[in-house]
Amino acid sequence: MAWTKPVIREIG
Amino acid sequence: MAQVGIAPSDVPVIPRGVRLHFDKVRDLWVLLAPERTINLDPVGLAILREIDGTATLDAITEVLAAKYDAPAPQITADVRDFLAGLMERRILEVRT
Repeated sequence: MAWTKPVIREIG
Repeated sequence: MAQVGIAPSDVPVIPRGVRLHFDKVRDLWVLLAPERTINLDPVGLAILREIDGTATLDAITEVLAAKYDAPAPQITADVRDFLAGLMERRILEVRT
């Protein structure tokens, strides 16, 4: 599988 | 670069009150924490699924390196940054 740098998308 | 460090022998632990959840409406996995969520991309989800409270950072990166087509040092660095980012937000703990 392809690896991509994981991103933290934080979320009222 | 993240300021919080995690050593290869550290065991990452998802603390009480934080859990993985599949958001049916958005069709994506999120990490639910008190008063916030983290939207997860496929690699972020794969990392979190390897966290079982006993596996060390070394063991987790080894498993992922076997599954993914990328140099092991890159996977190790990316996993360390990702987990350190979660630690900074206090939604991941480590046992040393």
